[in-house]
Amino acid sequence: MKRFGVWASALGSGLALGIAVTGAASAVAQDQLPAPSPIEKTLAERATHVTEVTLDKNMLAFAAKFMDKDEDKDDQEAKDMIRNLKGVYVREYEFDKDHSYTAEELEGLRKYFESTDWSPMVHERTKGVAEGTDVYLKLVDGHIQGLFVLDAEAKELSLVLILGPVDLDKISSLGGTFGIPKDAVKSVKKAQKEAGK
Amino acid sequence: MRQSTNYAIFLPLGLAAVMTPAIMLAAGGTGTGFNAVVHGIESRYHAHANHIPFMMLISGVAGIATHGGVRGLRVAEIEHLDGPVDGAELNALVAQHVGPGWERIIRETSRDGDDQSLIYAKPDGDRMGLLVVDLDHHEMNVVQISIDPKHLDDDIKQYSHHHDKAHDDVKPDDDGQDSSDSE
Repeated sequence: MKRFGVWASALGSGLALGIAVTGAASAVAQDQLPAPSPIEKTLAERATHVTEVTLDKNMLAFAAKFMDKDEDKDDQEAKDMIRNLKGVYVREYEFDKDHSYTAEELEGLRKYFESTDWSPMVHERTKGVAEGTDVYLKLVDGHIQGLFVLDAEAKELSLVLILGPVDLDKISSLGGTFGIPKDAVKSVKKAQKEAGK
Repeated sequence: MRQSTNYAIFLPLGLAAVMTPAIMLAAGGTGTGFNAVVHGIESRYHAHANHIPFMMLISGVAGIATHGGVRGLRVAEIEHLDGPVDGAELNALVAQHVGPGWERIIRETSRDGDDQSLIYAKPDGDRMGLLVVDLDHHEMNVVQISIDPKHLDDDIKQYSHHHDKAHDDVKPDDDGQDSSDSE
C-alpha cells in the first residue's frame, strides 16, 4: 500500500511538472515569433522579389535606443511602445503576374498565424478574386497584445505580425519603420475607424 | 632507450594536439564572424575577395569623424562571381558561418538570384554590430560595422537640424507649398 502511495505521489508530481512545463512552453511560444509557414516557402518560390524582416524583443529594445533623445511626447510614447514589443515579423512577396497565390493559401496563412487569443477586426474581400485585407488583434484580458495584418493585392502579398502591447493610436509611428509597410498601418487605422462607427 | 621511445611517441602526438586546431582555424572551417563568412563564400563560389587597402586607417577616420558612432569597419569585395546564386543556399551558408549572437534581421531576395541582401545584427552592450552581405549581379560585398546609436543619432540630428532650419527659412508660396518644392 505504501509502495502504491509512493508511485502515486511520484506520478502526481510528474504530471504536475509536465503540465507546468507545457504551460510555460506554450506561453513562451505565444510570445515568440513563429517559424515560417510552409505556405510562405511556396510563395517565395513564385515571387520575383521577397523581403523578410524579423526583429525579436532584444533587437526592438535596441532600436528604441535610437530614439532615446526624442523630446517630443508622442515620440516618447511611440518609443515606449516599441521598447515593449516582443517581436516584429514582416514578409512581402512581389509577383510578376496577377494573383500568383490562391484563396486556399491565404486561408492557410490566416489559420497559421491565428490562435485562440486572436480576434478578427476586419475582413475586406474583393469579389471574384483572391484579394483582400485581414486585420486580427490578439486580446489578452481585454488588452491588445498583438496585431496581424494580411494584405493581399494583385501583385503583392504582405504579412505583418507584431507581438506585444500595441497602442492603436500610436500604430502610425510604426508605418515605414522595421519593414512594416505603410499600407498595412493604413489598413489598421481604417479598420479602427470602422470599428468605432 | 625507453626514454627515447617515449619521446618518439609523445612528441608527435603533442605536436598534433597543438597544431590540429590551429590548422583547422587557418583553413577557415571553424571560425565565425566576418572572416568566416568571407572564407565560406570564397570557397563555395570559388571566388577571391578583395580587401580594401588601408581599411584600418579608413575605419579609424570614420571612428573619429563620427565621434565613435561608427567603428570596426571591414569590407570585402568579391567581383566576377560566376553563375546564379541560390538565395536559400547563400542564406544557409552565411547562417552557418556567422556564428553565435548574430541574428538575421533583414533578407531580400530575387527569384533570378541576381540580387540578394542579408543583414545580420548583434547587440553588444551599447553598440550594435551589423554584417551585410549584398549581391548585385556578379558582384558581392560583405561589410561589417559596429555602430553606437546614441553617438550616431547626435551626428544625424546635427545635420537634420541644419536641414530643418534651412527648410524653415524658406518662405511658403501663396498656395502654402515651400518654394523649394517647385524647384
